[in-house]
Parts: sequence; C-alpha cells; structure tokens
Amino acid sequence: MKSARPHPAWAPWFFLAPFLLLFAAFFAWPLVRAAVLSLEQTYGPGVGVFVGFRNFAFLARDPLFWTALRNTAVFTVGSLLIQMPVALGLAILLNRPSLRGRAVFRLIFFSPALIGMVFAATLFTLIFEKQTGLVNFALHSLFRGWNPDFPWLEDYLMASLILAALWLYAGFNMVYFLAALQNVPQEQLDAASIDGAGPWGRFRHVTLPAIRPVAGFIVMLSIAGSFQIFVLPYVMFLRTGGAGPLNRGLTVVMYLYKTGFLIGDLGYASAIGWVLALLLVAIALLHRALSHGETQ
Amino acid sequence: MPRLPSFLSPAAWVIVGLAAASTIGICLMRPPASRALQFWIFAIQHKPFYQTAIAGWNHTHPDKPVELVLMSGTALQQRMMSSFFSGTPIADVLEVERSNIGPAFAGPLEKIGFVDLTDRLRDQGLLDGINRPSFSPWTSRGRIFGIPHDVHPVLLAYRADLVEAAGIDVSRIETWDDYFRVMAPLQVAAGESGGPGRALVVGWPSDYYIAEMLLLESGGAIFDARGRPTLNAPFNARFLARLATWFTGPRPVARSVDWFSASGHRMLLDGLVVGLPVPDWYAGIILKLEIPGLAGKLKLMPLPAWERGGRRTSVWGGTMLGIAKCSPRREDAWEFAQYLYLARATAEALFRRNGIVSPIRSHWTDPVYDQPDPYFCGQPVGRLFLDQAPHVPVRTSSPFNEQALTAFDNCLISVTDYAVRTGRADPATLVPEAQRLLDQAQRDITALVGRNAFLSSPP
Repeated sequence: MKSARPHPAWAPWFFLAPFLLLFAAFFAWPLVRAAVLSLEQTYGPGVGVFVGFRNFAFLARDPLFWTALRNTAVFTVGSLLIQMPVALGLAILLNRPSLRGRAVFRLIFFSPALIGMVFAATLFTLIFEKQTGLVNFALHSLFRGWNPDFPWLEDYLMASLILAALWLYAGFNMVYFLAALQNVPQEQLDAASIDGAGPWGRFRHVTLPAIRPVAGFIVMLSIAGSFQIFVLPYVMFLRTGGAGPLNRGLTVVMYLYKTGFLIGDLGYASAIGWVLALLLVAIALLHRALSHGETQ
Repeated sequence: MPRLPSFLSPAAWVIVGLAAASTIGICLMRPPASRALQFWIFAIQHKPFYQTAIAGWNHTHPDKPVELVLMSGTALQQRMMSSFFSGTPIADVLEVERSNIGPAFAGPLEKIGFVDLTDRLRDQGLLDGINRPSFSPWTSRGRIFGIPHDVHPVLLAYRADLVEAAGIDVSRIETWDDYFRVMAPLQVAAGESGGPGRALVVGWPSDYYIAEMLLLESGGAIFDARGRPTLNAPFNARFLARLATWFTGPRPVARSVDWFSASGHRMLLDGLVVGLPVPDWYAGIILKLEIPGLAGKLKLMPLPAWERGGRRTSVWGGTMLGIAKCSPRREDAWEFAQYLYLARATAEALFRRNGIVSPIRSHWTDPVYDQPDPYFCGQPVGRLFLDQAPHVPVRTSSPFNEQALTAFDNCLISVTDYAVRTGRADPATLVPEAQRLLDQAQRDITALVGRNAFLSSPP
C-alpha cells in the first residue's frame, strides 16, 4: 500500500491565503486605519491633524450624536417589538399543513425582502404623503375626522420608518422562524398533547423553547441591522435633509455618513464608527451572557 | 494533449484563468485619454441650452472641444468631494448648487479644489459687472471660487383669479401684516366648509429653505461677515417668534404644501393657498413647466416686507460655475466659462428657457426681460424679478451653513410647538422661549465651528 505523502508545511497557509488577504485588506486594515483616523481631525483622507482623544470627548457631549443614538435605539426597540411577533405569527400560520397555497403565501410575504431598499423607501415616501398618500387617504376615507395633512414624514418619522422596516423585513425573519418551527420535534408536541397540553401550552412549553436559539439569532441580527440602518431613512427623509425636522429621523450611521463623506471629517466619523462598533459588541456580549445564563 | 495539474478540477482552472485574465486586463486598462474639456452639470433644465451653446463652441474651437455630462446633484457633490479629498477624476468645469458647496470650503484655503477666480474676475472688471450679492455663496475667506449663474430674487406669486374675484386690491400691501389683513377674506379654516380649507401663504415650520429665505428678507442672519455663528442674535429671536405665529392659532395663515411633489402641485391647483414665495427658477421651471394648469391664474408682486420700508425680496437657491484646480487645462476652462456664462445670448436663452435672470448687470437692459408673460397674466416677469435683483441679501458660504440652518429651523419647530402647547399667539410672549432655544443652538454650532482646525481665518 502506498503511504500518504505528508502535506508541506506551507499548504494550510496557501489555502488560507485568499481569506487572510481579503480579511487583512478589507477588514483588519480598515479597522486599524479607522482607529488611527479617530485620533485625527481630517479634511478628507489627505489632510489631517492629530487631536488625540478630542473626537471622543466631543462625541460624548455632541447633542446630535445623542439624538442619533436615541433615534436609532427607538427604531431598534420598536422594530424588534413589532417585527418579531409579526414574523413569528406569520411563520406559525404558514407552517400549518392544512393551509392551502402555503408556498405562494410564503413567497408573497418574503417578496418585500427581494425588493431594493431604495425602491421600498421611495414607495413609503409616497404612501406617507399628505393628502394624496395612501395611508392618509385611506384613514381619511375610513374616519372622516382623520386629518389628511397628517404629518407622518415630519412628526412621526420613527413610526413611519418602523412600519417601512416591518414591511421589508417581517417576511425575511419569517423564513428563519419557519425553518425553526419545522425542526420542532413532532414527538414532543404529541407527548405534550397526550399530557393534556392545549395549543397555547404546547406553544409555550414546547415550541418556544425549541425555537429560542433561532429567535436569539434573529434578535441579534435585527439589532445589528437596525443600529446600522441608513438607506431607508436617507431616502425617506431626503426632502428634509435625510434627518427630518428636529433631527427626528437622524440615525447613527446617517450622522457618520454626513460627517465623514459630506463634511470630510473622516476622523470624527471614525470615532462615531468605533463607538457604534463597541456598542454592538457590548450588546452581543450581553446577549451571550444572558443566553448562557438561560442555558445553565 | 497537455494535462492540467490534478490538484484543481477543470472547472476550478477555468475560474482561476478567468480571475487571472480579468486581473491582468484591469491592471492594463487605462481610461481613454479624453481630448475634450469635461463639463459636469446637475440641472436637466440647463442641458438643452448648454448642448446648443457647446455645439457652437466646439464648432469655433475644434482644438478645445467640450463634453457635457449630466448627473444628479448628489452624485455631482459626491464625485466632486471625492476628487477634492482623494484625487479621483473630476471634470475641468462644473456647476455646483449652493446647498452642495459647503463641504468644499471646510478645509484649508489652499486645499479648496476650485481655482481661485478672484484676481481674474477683478482684472476683467467682473466684480462690479456681476450683481455683487450673488458672489457671496461662492466666496470663502475673501476669495471667490465660482462665477454666479444667477441672482434668484424672490417674489410673491398669488392667485390673481381668487384675489380679483374677491375685489381685493394688492397695491395696499406693503408688509406681511398688511398681506394677512388684506387677504383675510380669502382664508378658510380647514373643515370650515367641509373641505381642506384655504391658507394665505405656503410655509411650514420644518421647511428650512423658507425659514432661511424669510430670515434673510427680514435682515437677519445666522453667520456674520467673518463666518461666526450669530444664531442667538435678539433680532433672530424676534423674527422666529413672529414666524411661529404663522403656523399656530385656530386659523393658521400658512400651510404645508410640498414644493416639488405631485400632491403639492395638486394643492396649488386646487387653490388651497393664496400665495407662495417664488424665486425666478421656481416661477420659470416648476410653475410653468410642471403646473401648466395655473396659467393665467397667478400674478407676481414683491414679497411683503417685515417692516414698513423694509426689503421686498429675498434669495433662494443658486448655482456657480467653477474650474477644478487639478484640471490640466485651466486656461481653456476659463475661456469656456466666460463664453458660457458671460455672453448676452446665454443670458437671453437662460431667461427664455428657464425664466432665470442673469447676474450680469449689463444684460439687464435686454428687452427680453420686458416681454409680457401669459402664464402670469401678461406681467413682464423678467423686469419684476430684475427690479428686486440688486436688493437680494448677502448669504454666508460657511461650510456649517446646513447644520446651522437645521439648528435654526429646529428652534422654529420648537417655538411653534411651544406656542401651540401654551396657546400663546402674541409674538412678544414667544420671544423669551425663542431666545432660550437659539442660545442653545448657538452653543452647539459654535462648538462645531470651533473644533474645525482648518479654518485658520473665518470663511
């Protein structure tokens, strides 16, 4: 029998090289560069002066940053609280074998996720228009007392944004839940039925614990995505400078974009980016600690 | 037949081959060296005339052809800033809108990406030949970086059909207070007759364009001549308190009508407002081209003043022509810029096509401006705008203008909310709150301006 020839020592590195190169070029180096930049004030990448931690000090008392952070947090929490139950509810409905045309409904509910975000944002800008917008028109037709000039895109920016995001992502999250629901052991559900558990009891004591890891994953994904939201408000609030009146629609990434790419202060934008990254890491760690506690 | 080394499958070899070939191809690729001067614009309305003008130029200057590129204002701003920051390709000559110019002036003076035109303009006598306030948005730290394309004075367009049917005499109007008093019979509160009602003027607190335009008309400013923030000047607080009362009370005189959307146009057509402040470009492009149904129903008059004897106009919008500092053909670009912007034919075409009056004073005698315009009931629209052109207010070119304006407008929204919450309708009672909010805004903007290490001298 011919003995297997040992691999040369460089072989693993050779196969890892494409990933390592890409990782270094597009992740590690920008991260290091952003850290260096966050200690400078810049006018584009070519002109900069070292300012130490002054960017972070300014950030700590920058009212616009805090407004952006508060708005983003409101959007994240609002999205989670509405999207998760809606996505789970849709998944439960579409998981019923007795439902006819399940595949068609799944496609219908998932299809908004296939639409470009700019298109969706433009659509919702029209939907929330005064007088002629679908929402105001429908509400005014149903309730004569409804003001057709209701200022969705002026006074209720976060509500509009949450509704637009719900339409976009509920179907997407539904698919995850659907996959999780299909993996709930049928024998456990049957055993619970035999033990006298009703539909709610089976859902609470069997289904929910079984899909919890997936739900946790979706929550983390949604938090990370929501904190980085940019395109939706950028297009929806374009008419009011991308942030809306009183900066009610300003998000953290929008503020980062404006600072870095419109003003050219990449240093300050990097500081914002780092704070956002650290915040997300902290949330992930907290989530992990809580999940770990639950498992224990 | 030669065999490929066996550690990769044939399909993988194809992928490797394609990757290698495309990489080599991209490395060898060079952008085609263009012989033509690149000219970027953002306004589609400018394109037809420029195409004609450029065809004429290319015919007489075959050695210096010009190539026109139209793109969105946002794309133009981003490509412009990208070039100024990183040296990416840019046009030789470009038109820039006022709201997009601020970032170009945020760095050190020597790093501004446009050619400093101050001396050229002075040498050719253009500093006096062009309407002086029109240079202000393109001036940073005393240096001028663009030729103004326009003046953009603002007049008040009003529904002449409604006004005349009600027997109202607009010649009695000098101030905004006069306007609201004289036009009061036309006002209908929302729901009063089962319909959406009718307001007297377009405006709403979150529209910072109108807030800036009216502030400038009143004589207020958010930056002084040296670029220092002046948001909390007592004058501004009084102005804010007065403006807030337009949007409050049981019968607000102003209502929200989107300037650029179909729903806004519908509201104008339906006569849901009596008057709207319009710059020449809005009258010539938006109203005439996008709302033809209002033809023969509108007339223009000077803006009502804030005080008797006060200014009867303001300014809104603006475009400049700049030359990229990195252009290898700056002299050709300067020659083309003069050809395009200074010629009498250009001024005439600009007015005929877009209703925009020229900033070049010697052209103001052109009879084209005296022609009656059927859209505005036969009024000589050009002359009406030009009568106000010398009086347009000077504007800031501070790179922080957008932030300061947003902060100022946020104060207006908050004062309006405060007026609604407390039921106060008298401007005098709103001044302390306006002052308090403006003081806070002043602190924020001063901190923002103060941390810029590059503005060695004020903008």
